[in-house]
Amino acid sequence: MKVVLRVLAGPAGALLLAFVLAAVAMLIAGVSPLDGFGALFSGSLGGRRPIAETLVQTTALLFPALGVSLAFRAGLFNIGAEGQLLMGGLFAGAVGAHFAGPGWLVIPVLLLLGMVGGGIWGGIAGWLRARFNASEIISTLMLNFIALSLAGYLVAGPLKSPLASGAETAPLLPSGWLPAFPTIGSLSFGDTRLTISILIAIATAAVLSFIFTRTVFGYELRAAGEAPEAARRSGINMPRMTLIALALSGAVAGLGGAAIVTGVLHRFNTALSPGYGYTAIAVALVGDLNPLWVCVAAFGFGILEAGGLAMQANAGVPKDAIHVIEGLIVLVLAARRYFATRATGAPV
Amino acid sequence: MSTGVSLMLTLLFLTLIKSVPIVYAALGGVISERAGVVNIGLEGMMTAGAFSAVVFTNLTGSPIIGLIAGLFFGAVLGFVLGFAATFFKVDQIVAGVGINLVALGGAAYGLVLIFNQPGASPQVTQLAPEQLLPQITVAETAMIVLGLLCAFGLSWFIYRTPWGLRIQACGENPRAVTDAGLNPLRLRLYAVVASGALAGLGGAFLSICEVNLYSDGMTAGRGFIALAAVIFGRWTPWGATGAAVFFGFFEALQYVLQGRISWLPSDAMQALPYLAALFAIAGLVGRVRAPAADGVPY
Amino acid sequence: MHQHFELVRRLRVWQNIMLGREPRKGMLVDVDGARSRVAELAERNGLAIDPDALVEELPIGVQQRVELLRELEREPSVLLLDEPTAALAPAEIATLFATVVQLAKRGTAILVVTHKLQEVIDYTTRVSVMRHGKIVARYLTTETSTDEIARAMVGGELPQVAQREATGTQPCLSVRDLSAGVDTTTVSDLSFEVSAGEIVGIAGVEGNGQTALADAIAGMIPYTGAIELDGSADALKHRENIGIVPQDRHHEGLVLNWSIVENAILGRQNLPGIRKGALTNWAAARADAEAIIERFDVRAASADVAVRTLSGGNQQKLLVGRALLGDPRFVLAYQPTRGIDVGAAALVQSRLIEARNRGSAILLISFELDEILALADRVLVMFRGKITGSFSGADIDRGKIGRLMAGLT
Repeated sequence: MKVVLRVLAGPAGALLLAFVLAAVAMLIAGVSPLDGFGALFSGSLGGRRPIAETLVQTTALLFPALGVSLAFRAGLFNIGAEGQLLMGGLFAGAVGAHFAGPGWLVIPVLLLLGMVGGGIWGGIAGWLRARFNASEIISTLMLNFIALSLAGYLVAGPLKSPLASGAETAPLLPSGWLPAFPTIGSLSFGDTRLTISILIAIATAAVLSFIFTRTVFGYELRAAGEAPEAARRSGINMPRMTLIALALSGAVAGLGGAAIVTGVLHRFNTALSPGYGYTAIAVALVGDLNPLWVCVAAFGFGILEAGGLAMQANAGVPKDAIHVIEGLIVLVLAARRYFATRATGAPV
Repeated sequence: MSTGVSLMLTLLFLTLIKSVPIVYAALGGVISERAGVVNIGLEGMMTAGAFSAVVFTNLTGSPIIGLIAGLFFGAVLGFVLGFAATFFKVDQIVAGVGINLVALGGAAYGLVLIFNQPGASPQVTQLAPEQLLPQITVAETAMIVLGLLCAFGLSWFIYRTPWGLRIQACGENPRAVTDAGLNPLRLRLYAVVASGALAGLGGAFLSICEVNLYSDGMTAGRGFIALAAVIFGRWTPWGATGAAVFFGFFEALQYVLQGRISWLPSDAMQALPYLAALFAIAGLVGRVRAPAADGVPY
Repeated sequence: MHQHFELVRRLRVWQNIMLGREPRKGMLVDVDGARSRVAELAERNGLAIDPDALVEELPIGVQQRVELLRELEREPSVLLLDEPTAALAPAEIATLFATVVQLAKRGTAILVVTHKLQEVIDYTTRVSVMRHGKIVARYLTTETSTDEIARAMVGGELPQVAQREATGTQPCLSVRDLSAGVDTTTVSDLSFEVSAGEIVGIAGVEGNGQTALADAIAGMIPYTGAIELDGSADALKHRENIGIVPQDRHHEGLVLNWSIVENAILGRQNLPGIRKGALTNWAAARADAEAIIERFDVRAASADVAVRTLSGGNQQKLLVGRALLGDPRFVLAYQPTRGIDVGAAALVQSRLIEARNRGSAILLISFELDEILALADRVLVMFRGKITGSFSGADIDRGKIGRLMAGLT
């Protein structure tokens, strides 16, 4: 009984709850949960194309969720993955529009630029916290809005493609496009939006997992998050750790922005993220801030995101119901204590 | 009247109007944080207020009832956060993020369910839209006055009444409150409910006083700016009110400057209030002290 | 009344005392009424206090008074005092108990929880001994002795503390003209030395600058003056040379959610044996953890259990074991036996003496005069951030030290 309760209190319970709530949301919309779930699952897992789309959404959530996990593990509430994602995409898109060269050069450079863009955005919050003890919660939130204004201004002005009608950069040259997901047996993904970016995301998770468990840096980062005062006394330079952790966290989210630009949009515009950076917080928490479980959680949320559209189209349940469910999952999961103390944090 | 003077007047009135929702939310932030709960969910509570005000105005035809509904649903979300943050010992920041997701998603979901149109609601009756002065309506004036009364009342409540003293003690050292034979969790819950009610009122102002509809994302981070105002105002009612007006000024400035400075496009100027908030919290290095138990579950 | 003060530091004295029972005038707090009520209460109990003072600006001894007044305001029929003298000088202890004894005479039942046996003998009428959550013995105070109580506390004979051996007198740690700290806890112009193979005890009541001294030596706060290890300020920054037992094991010393293995290398994570390139050598960390568990008798199911699940005594043994690992040149032990049972305390004290015998220089900061007298070769008395007395060998005089701790001469 106790074991059952513990499992229910954890991520598994959250997922179960998600389905119950989804059923409620469908009932409110006057749709039989059977039809609703049918549409949700056939739209996300029912065939090659839906699965590919689910994996595209998984990837889009996975990068920012990994970034959020890293910051949370360091005891820093990075709520700015949305802005960091946008800045990563902006950097990649701005340069990618004019960068001609072989794919093996262009793609890595664009992804790296994404990390730089997101890293700068996270780093600003880190610097403000390290230097001025300014709450990273508020600064990352403010930076989300500032990123949106900045990107909106740039794509409507200096970076606007003269050929496009809307506000967006010129398209990337095809050499900057991420290759399609490799063909498995007779299964080809060439006609879907699925690219190798899902593999890059999973590799990133593996690297982060290695950093957390095997390296001295990861040890110090976790110490800083678990017990800030003990960490400080163990010789860790806390302001430096704050700066590095938030910059790295932003870089991982920014990499995700670049992956969307090079893999899906092939250009940059501010519609790059319909709120992936916020949903990513839910993903990170469901994944217990553990990179490998975050991958699993991202897949679960990928199903919701991809299936939500199908549910709206085929069963008439507004896709925004999905976001209500995500929020409720966060609320429930928050009942677990992630941090020993926040007494030493910046004023919020 | 010269253009300069009329421009200054526009800026003044616009500052007053743009400050109102931030003032309400910031006062909500003060009461909640003084009791020891960081309310990241202010944004969501404003959203709930804005949306429910429109729904109930549409339902009843009376914007006054809409206003009350805004207050009520803000308080409901406050209750959810308060309950989670006290009796469930939830991490307050994470719970606040959850509240925001629920409110924003719920409003979007509700638009489709209730009005069958995504993005924005149909127009409803605006609250007392008669012009009192050239730039400002009766409702806006009333809400400005009410906001000042709230600041006055909160200040009076916190510093002069027994309940205020207990709330302060809750935010500094809840154990002392337990020792005095009171339940700090219940006090915190009440404070967060009040916080949500104030934020809901601020949200309702946005949708049925300033305009006459709800649109997705209309709170635009004002709840977060209000949090910065709480810090900038050093956790005092009047300080937070002043800080909210300061940030409101930058929002007004952005509207006034739009199209007047050729090299600074409107997209970039939208960042003004957020930049102001960012600079404000960074500029307080070493000079502010939050309530000692602020954000710490008990 | 609690060992750790449950006061609201940023409120005034009267606000603290009247919290929850505020006199009212209409809807408002009757401030004047509250003030005069507090003044009258203080007067009646002989505890002088300024009702309008901010609690955080008061010395610890006076804060204790506020705490006591707060309890007395309720005119309780039963008063529970949990380690009430932990932060008081001997003279203040006498004053406190004078008040308490008066209360008892007026009919209040008083329950004192303390580990200071002398207080039990001096002021109580009956005594119960608790061990592992059970009452194991009851005595009338007039019919028992500190020895008998101590034996009941450990459930047998007291463990023998290790014997001191002769050691050299080569200076190891030297502190010159040290000034550090902020606000109420500062030290100024401190100068002293600790030799290899010597335990120097800092005697003093809590809040007289001990924390500032410890933090300065640990490199946690800025300071002026010089702190050198073997003549070099740099040597102090090398973690292999020093072992530190911080005052607060929960916040400053351990990561409670981590395993013993992970905690065994906290502070040592960059030492050559533990760090291999960018990686952590977990095999070495595990070996260290096993060594600590073995030598310090840390009772745990395995080295992989979370430290949170250990008892306070076992946590403290882990903390001291980590600090003494590899026989560092210098050891800073701040309240090394705080809040742990007599058996664990004896073991910790033995290991400190053994480290001394092997040539470590040890600076022992403790608020327990008994502990200082039991362990130290030399005693320095700290009062208001200055060293006001120095005693060694046969000159160590309990009475004189006690008076200096209270600021008397």
